[in-house]
Amino acid sequence: MPLLELKEVSKSYQRSASALHVLEGISFTVEEGEFVAIVGPSGCGKSTLLRIIHGLIPPSSGQVLYKGRQVDGINLECALVFQSFALLPWLTVKANVELGLEARGIEPAERERRAAIYIDKVGLDGFEEAYPRELSGGMKQRVGLARALALEPELLLMDEPFSALDQLTAINLREELLDMWQSPDLPVGTIILVTHSIEEAVEMADRVLVMGRNPGRIVGELTVDLARPRRKRTDLFNALTDQIFSMIEERG
Amino acid sequence: MRAAEIHPIPQVGISRVIGLLELLDSRGGSEDGYRLARDLNYPLSDMLNVMKAAEVLGFVATPSGDIVLQPLGKQFLESDINQRKALLRERLKELSLFSYLVRLLRGQENCSLEREVVLSHLAMLLPNEDPESLFSTILDWGRFAELFGFNKDEDRFYLDQQ
Repeated sequence: MPLLELKEVSKSYQRSASALHVLEGISFTVEEGEFVAIVGPSGCGKSTLLRIIHGLIPPSSGQVLYKGRQVDGINLECALVFQSFALLPWLTVKANVELGLEARGIEPAERERRAAIYIDKVGLDGFEEAYPRELSGGMKQRVGLARALALEPELLLMDEPFSALDQLTAINLREELLDMWQSPDLPVGTIILVTHSIEEAVEMADRVLVMGRNPGRIVGELTVDLARPRRKRTDLFNALTDQIFSMIEERG
Repeated sequence: MRAAEIHPIPQVGISRVIGLLELLDSRGGSEDGYRLARDLNYPLSDMLNVMKAAEVLGFVATPSGDIVLQPLGKQFLESDINQRKALLRERLKELSLFSYLVRLLRGQENCSLEREVVLSHLAMLLPNEDPESLFSTILDWGRFAELFGFNKDEDRFYLDQQ
């Protein structure tokens, strides 16, 4: 049984005269342990799709199955990393990391233990009492990542997590995320990464789902069978990015 | 502790420096700085600043516009996150600005000082630098290396005892 299965998921919003179709007929599966990227142009509804998977918003029609059971409301086995980091400026790094745990009713001692573990893993030791305003973008997103990991989710959902970062910082964080994902002591086995960057998708994922817009739908899928760490600018790498690009061009 | 001996540091976050090392490594350890900037669509002046920061830390050399990964930079990349922090900590202690601050803090009760006091030291030592942004960079590097800490609520810049 796949970890996640989407069956004909659609989302539309009723406007006064007509309906706005954001997503239409989205079907795919994600196996446990997979790293899947969803790539598509802005406005294709990929962030909405991620929120539907998380159970934050319901689909208009179709089904989201997690381990074969229909998702109804927030799926607590998931955690979300945001493009905008979504940190609370009046809380310290440590308190921001503990935030999600508090919301799930976890006891203070356990909250502290877990925050310490994941602050260490993402390289934030030394930043515990810093406030978001004192941090660079890269450090802010490490906080976002630690907060999601502290929930020890089975499925990590990432919404353009590197897009608001400086290019060099993004290189650093992508590499660290891959290192963490490949290390056996991380509780997260499965990742869905939403991005508009074709290169990023091919660099990171085992499999890439390609979306088009108006309405948002899957226009192609591609397996990335390249050994890690992946070198960009090789012929194989370029062939894959070209393939995705033409899928978006022709069918997007 | 004469002011003339203290050198400024490029005002660049440590994550960018690490990103540069990784990029360089993925290109075989050596590349033209201008080409890196162009390929990344990165402002050249910013790229030069990150290169300078990596050079100050001893991770790269920059002979005539090129940028070449040094053994220490390679060692840094091959280390895990906590080894990276330890390695950076040892490097920072060798930089005049950081060793000045370490000695300054060691001379204080609780090895700590108020932010304003640190800023006034920075302004005197490096009158051509903006002390506030210099302090941010020192904190970014110093916290990552677990050499310095800063508690805003207590207004306390301190030596991290690890």
